Amino acid sequence: MTVHEVTRVYCPVCQAKFRFSEGWKAGDIVVCPVCGQKLRLEMQGNEWVGARPEKGQEKEIRERVDEYARIKGYVFNDMKEELLEGLLGKNRRFGDFYCPCRMEHVPEFMCPCRPTRSGDVERDGKCYCGLFWKKK
Amino acid sequence: MATKPKVYALSTCPYCKRTRRFLDEHKIAYDVVEVDLLDDAEQDKVLEEVEKLTNRRSFPVVIIGPTIIVGHDEEKLKKALKL
Ligand SMILES: [Zn+2]
Repeated sequence: MTVHEVTRVYCPVCQAKFRFSEGWKAGDIVVCPVCGQKLRLEMQGNEWVGARPEKGQEKEIRERVDEYARIKGYVFNDMKEELLEGLLGKNRRFGDFYCPCRMEHVPEFMCPCRPTRSGDVERDGKCYCGLFWKKK
Repeated sequence: MATKPKVYALSTCPYCKRTRRFLDEHKIAYDVVEVDLLDDAEQDKVLEEVEKLTNRRSFPVVIIGPTIIVGHDEEKLKKALKL
């Protein structure tokens, strides 16, 4: 298999495989269009995967939630900083940026969690933790 | 008050923090369980308690006498504590 036949990139945050755009090459920094994570393109075996350049750093989660809100047109409220503090606490204690208001530490609850990406904000006006809000 | 209020909380949840801050500010003595920091066996037991009380796994949960409050709700806290 040659590189030009591979058309998707695996995102380790949301586990989506998004489209590989023409002109991208290994080492490029791209943004996952599904969750907003910043990724460095790498070839692993026959697959393109995104690496997390600032994995576990405060910068990573701040950029991710801002980018996700921008992509979706969501807004934050005055709980944002406290919720980010909670996300950092999850990372310190449980190894990654899981929903601060949930008990479970599983990949589907990495922020923005799967329920959020599946339409919770559209349906309820906000995500489970109240980080992302639908614009009024 | 007959028994101390009890709070079930997650260490990372800001709404839980606000509930605890509210109780502290009103000088209410209470017991708190940080459910996410318990070891596995203890956590299972406590989660079962919480689910039995509230039919869900949502935090904070505050038990004040016969009143069960899920989520940070200062009006409900005031009413239950007669503040
Ligand atoms: Zn992603």
